Amino acid sequence: MEQGTAARRLEVVGDDTPVADASALLVRTARGDESAFAELFDCLSPAVFGLARRVIRDPARAEEVAQEVFLQVWQTAARFDPDRGSAKSWVLTLAHRRAVDAVRHDQAATNRDNAYDWAPDVDHDTVLETVTVKMEHEQVRRCLGSLTDLQRESIMMAYYNGHTYAEVATLLDANPATVKTRMRDGLVRLRDCLGVEAS
Amino acid sequence: MNTDLHDLLVPYALDALDPHERSKFESHLDQCDVCSVELNGFSLTAVRMAEATEEEPPSALRVAVLERVATTAQERPVVTAIAQHGALRRSMPRIAVAASVLVATAGLGGFLLERDRAEDLQTQTEQISTILTAEDSALLAAPATTGGELRIMHSPSHGDAVVMGSDLEPLTDGKIYQVWAMYGDEPQSAGLLPSSSSMVLATGVGDADAFAVTIEPAGGSQAPTTEPIVDTRS
Repeated sequence: MEQGTAARRLEVVGDDTPVADASALLVRTARGDESAFAELFDCLSPAVFGLARRVIRDPARAEEVAQEVFLQVWQTAARFDPDRGSAKSWVLTLAHRRAVDAVRHDQAATNRDNAYDWAPDVDHDTVLETVTVKMEHEQVRRCLGSLTDLQRESIMMAYYNGHTYAEVATLLDANPATVKTRMRDGLVRLRDCLGVEAS
Repeated sequence: MNTDLHDLLVPYALDALDPHERSKFESHLDQCDVCSVELNGFSLTAVRMAEATEEEPPSALRVAVLERVATTAQERPVVTAIAQHGALRRSMPRIAVAASVLVATAGLGGFLLERDRAEDLQTQTEQISTILTAEDSALLAAPATTGGELRIMHSPSHGDAVVMGSDLEPLTDGKIYQVWAMYGDEPQSAGLLPSSSSMVLATGVGDADAFAVTIEPAGGSQAPTTEPIVDTRS
């Protein structure tokens, strides 16, 4: 099987998430290959669940959303274009959007802002506790740590808590235009620190 | 408020826009080549933040997902991705509202062109684009008695219509949905919808008074053999 060859080759490179492999699995999933989909699930479910859990917090709800994400991946796999990015990016982008929509939808009913308990330092630690200590995670932590407080808070409240920039502005008692500027400056810095190159 | 749309790029990459601003930015993105390169870098940065939250899911998740997948149909491999089609892409901002209603759940990339298989796809795609952008095109949505609805973008001046099922009840036993253009009480086949959210281009229906849908055996029928589940007049 060509799949086996790919896996062996990746083993030699390292035990990090085999990105190329996930893309091949997603392409096979698009052709209705359920066993490829199961492998893809094993490969990406910690990232998808972890992200959903981080944004939504409630484990049961996060599980529900992770399930919806994978169902959507199954249904729309044919839209994935391996030439335009990795399967992991495709799935995580989709997962984040879905988690954010879920948390906002839920909060329309419960109004989370009354119970707002976001404390940057505590939250930051929680992320790191749940993180398997991997080089790339260390790097994300280090790079987030290199931002100014307002840059980091704006980005983390938006990305990890699902707030809109306008909500972030309200919560930080800052001007929305300022928050947008801080987000941009912070994300540029983070991008450069992580060595991300646009493809 | 006159927000500079480009300022929304970073919040967009972080999914930090409300739905209104999100769709506003997406229309802008379509016309902005510089944006997509910059957005790509920011999106990849966001993905790196996502990766830093890995957590082993409960084992029940795997079971549940695989169970549901076993009984869930996939979108058929896309014959043509209209979102990547030059002409339609350029006209997107004008038709953004109408098209987003038409394909609310499917997304433009997911259009399936069922009519006559892949025959003359280019022409079809152009016809669809023409209908969606026509000055007089109107969107019609009619509920199906069995669940879901039929959405029709009809341009009388061009004589064509784009007909799409939305969440119609999935059919089994080789049955399909057949669309009928109604001329008074006279039905004329306007195409087949093989799956619950497929799309068909109905040509030469400029004088149709209404549209109806019936469930027919695979391949379709010469005339309706069952009671309509959709009738745009009712």
